Formats: sequence, C-alpha cells, structure tokens
Amino acid sequence: MEAKNPAREKAAYWSPYIAGLAIGLTLVLTYYVTGHGIGASGAYTQLAAKLLRLFTPDHAQGNAYLKSYLQLGPLLQSWIAIEMLGVMLGGFLGALTARRWRFQIERGPKIGEGDRLLFALIGGIAVGFGSRLAQGCTSGQALSGGAVLAVGSWLFTLAFFLGGYLFAWLVRREWE
Amino acid sequence: MKGPLIPNEIWTPEMGLVFALVAGLLFGFFLERAGFGSARKLTAMFYFQDFAVLRVMFTAVVVAMVGLLLLGGVGQIDLSIVAIPATYLWPQALGGLLIGLGFVIGGY
Repeated sequence: MEAKNPAREKAAYWSPYIAGLAIGLTLVLTYYVTGHGIGASGAYTQLAAKLLRLFTPDHAQGNAYLKSYLQLGPLLQSWIAIEMLGVMLGGFLGALTARRWRFQIERGPKIGEGDRLLFALIGGIAVGFGSRLAQGCTSGQALSGGAVLAVGSWLFTLAFFLGGYLFAWLVRREWE
Repeated sequence: MKGPLIPNEIWTPEMGLVFALVAGLLFGFFLERAGFGSARKLTAMFYFQDFAVLRVMFTAVVVAMVGLLLLGGVGQIDLSIVAIPATYLWPQALGGLLIGLGFVIGGY
C-alpha cells in the first residue's frame, strides 16, 4: 500500500475571514498609496480598445467611448493593466503553491465540456457589458466602492446579489 | 508620510506602477487562497450551498472601511482626496443585475 504523501495533497482554502482580512488590508494599502481602489474590468476595456485600434483604427478612434480609453497611453503604463497582470500572476502562484494548478474545465455534474465553455462565454459577455454600464465590476464597485461607502457601489452590490439569486433560482435544477 | 502617497506627490507615478504589480500579486494570491479560482465556488452562494465568497467579500469590505476610517482618524490619509466612484443609479443597478446573471451563467 502506498503511503500518503502530504506534499502532494492540495492545501485547504483559507478561512473566509482570514482571506477577507488579507484582501481588506491589501485594499487599505492600495488606497493609502494610490488614493483609489483595486479594479479589474477597466484593464479589459483598455485592452479591447487597443486591440480594436490594431485592426480597425478608424472605428476605434471614431468611437467616443473607446477613444477616451485610447488616450490613456500604453497598456504597460496603465496602473490597472499592470495590477491585473499582478492578479493573474498572484492567482497562478497561489494555485501553484497550494498544488491546485492543473489543466481542467471545471464543471458541474450535469453539463458537458462544450456547453460549459459556451455558457462561460455568454456569462462573460454579460459580465463584461454589465461592468461597462456600471463603470466597474465586483472589484471596482462592490469591494473598492463599497469600502468608501459610495452610494452607487452599494446599489450595484445589491443588484448583483439580486440578479445572482433570481437567476440561480430559475436554473437551480441544472446546476446541482 | 501622509497618504494617499501618489496624489500627495510623496511617491512618483512610476513607483505607483511598481506598486500596481505588488498590489495585484497580493490581491490575486489572496483571492486564490479564498477559493475564488473556482467558478463553481463563486456561484455556490447563489444556491445556498457555500457562503465562503460572501463572507470573504464582506469581511474585506468591512476591514477596508474600518482601516481607512482609522488611518483618516489618526491623520495618516487625507480621505477628502480619495477617489469615490461616481453615482449613476440606473446604469449601476442594471450593470449589477447583468453581472449577477453573468456569474450564474458562467459558473456551471
């Protein structure tokens, strides 16, 4: 019988309160240094604007919304773009050191891999569009805006939970 | 050093870009340790199965809120120049709804 090798076992997730404390302190530090919070979706908008300019420069420059993002300068001099690079790297290092890192299409018991990816794409489009409407996502609005008691950010957070719980109730049989 | 350091010109914007990588690394690492690397775990709260994500989010918001108030109270940060997201009621309500819906669709 093979002995259990603890070095090969996945590390457990942290207590949500410890993880929340760590994230909260990171946010305080970010406000202390930069005067603003931590975002995510804004980096994707800048990337999208710059990709579009690569393929159809006239269209990208002619769009008032995208133009404002193009005026922000190179991607690698943008605070939020570098921060997102750090988030990806940090998540990767976290998964690696917890021995959780592997290629997989994580999915529930009732869905195939193709459908899982298709739904992930549709969900991503909804999140992307919603985050542009709200000028932020769960990081920029719910977390960062919530911490400085921004009225719109708290409305956003309430709507986020409302949307999640309502829609999950409709599809609850497919998820479990 | 009275914060916020970059708006107060105690740190240069270039130092801010280096800090962006550090802040991102910390944020990403802690999010992974909290279990946010799993799309299933992210949506489990919407089915009343696992409330870890909710606990992490609200602990972080409360810690940051109290932390900023304390730093402001002892004069270490000038809260009057801290950026507060602007309010656009309908877009933010609709955006929140769409993101909640998107989380659920993306978390099968």
